[in-house]
Amino acid sequence: MFNPLRSSGGERSAAHLRVLADEELMQLVYRGNAAAFEVVYDRHADAAYSLAMRMCGQRSLAEDVVQESFLSLWRSGARYDRNRGSVRTWTLGIVHNRAIDALRRRAVRDRGVVTDEGIEERVPARERTELEFARRDEAREIREALERLPREQSHVIALAYFGGLTHSEIAEKLGTPIGTVKGRMRLGLEKMRAALGEPGEVMG
Amino acid sequence: MSAMDAPEGRAGCGEDTAAYALGALSEQEASSFEEHLRTCARCREELAALQPVVDALPSAVPQRTAPAELRGRVLATVRSEAELRGGRERPELGAPPGRARSWRPWRLAWAGLAVAAVSAAIALAIAGNEPTHTRVISAHAGIPGTRAVLRVTGNRGQLRIAGMPQAPRGHVYELWIERDGAAQPTDALFTVSSTGRASVGVPGSLKGASAVMVTAEPLGGSAQPTGAPVIVARVG
Repeated sequence: MFNPLRSSGGERSAAHLRVLADEELMQLVYRGNAAAFEVVYDRHADAAYSLAMRMCGQRSLAEDVVQESFLSLWRSGARYDRNRGSVRTWTLGIVHNRAIDALRRRAVRDRGVVTDEGIEERVPARERTELEFARRDEAREIREALERLPREQSHVIALAYFGGLTHSEIAEKLGTPIGTVKGRMRLGLEKMRAALGEPGEVMG
Repeated sequence: MSAMDAPEGRAGCGEDTAAYALGALSEQEASSFEEHLRTCARCREELAALQPVVDALPSAVPQRTAPAELRGRVLATVRSEAELRGGRERPELGAPPGRARSWRPWRLAWAGLAVAAVSAAIALAIAGNEPTHTRVISAHAGIPGTRAVLRVTGNRGQLRIAGMPQAPRGHVYELWIERDGAAQPTDALFTVSSTGRASVGVPGSLKGASAVMVTAEPLGGSAQPTGAPVIVARVG
């Protein structure tokens, strides 16, 4: 039987693959290594599904979005560019775009609707690593920063990012001038940036 | 990237940066904002500052467990495609990967077709039926230090590049075929290796083509070139 682990010439065990960094795994994924893809999937599928569920609000649609996103990652691993950010950021960016495509095929009035259907906050069991703890810390900080924003600012950010609405659709939905909507987006993101210890500084 | 930075942005500059980062501009507005970004250092800086905040937003959502059936479906597809490739992994970066690098994710049918094309090419080469004559055409590269050649065998082309910098942040390189004076997009989106090398199979046939070109495009590629080509190989 074909063993993708051996065909690369190296004797890589599944356990060996699991210690590799995402960026190294993507090199193998690019070369068609299904076992490396499996590790990448297991690391990011929950985050991808969580985002898709938040955006689509519907399990079947969210599953389609995640499936399409990971298959696109598998088929176009060469498009991953580490200068653009981590594999997780890249993957979630694909999920976000796919979910927006799916949402934009629906009527505006149905978008930006948050359902709490089947929410289970949980502690991921697969990788209880320091990275996972750091991620949970970061998630808490982001959530708090978002919650501390004035409601009108967090609302436009959520409608845009999670709801896939354009600024003019948001303006129409809220009966607010476009300039005000853009201003709230900007103020909100700037406040979050300040609250998160200026993550922008490292980029600049 | 080559455009001069305007000392000051246009009036009202910066208004769209947050909306752009959040993906809340219409397609048309987004492309004019991208045009503006080329010449406005202030907006580029602001975007660089806000983008990490937007990139972090997914972690603010309630975390769920992806269904096991979903994992089963995705991995079954991936394993069968890996086997379709006949147990051969795609070659290392730098070696000619044929069409393998050129898949756009949304062209789902490509996987099987590309495997078939690569296998057919190998089979033909082994059988000796493939036209053996290969022309090597030097390409004109607009970036100092970048060298590129187009190898043409029959109607098929392979572009080999060395000494090329990474595409600007948020961009990939896209391959175009020029026919009748118009640039036609291809599925070939690519990045260069850390040593600046790439080898890209030209998707489809070069029949009727006058040139093969490369431009830097926003992630996901474009239907029309958004900037001047960085590489041009004249075929005709």
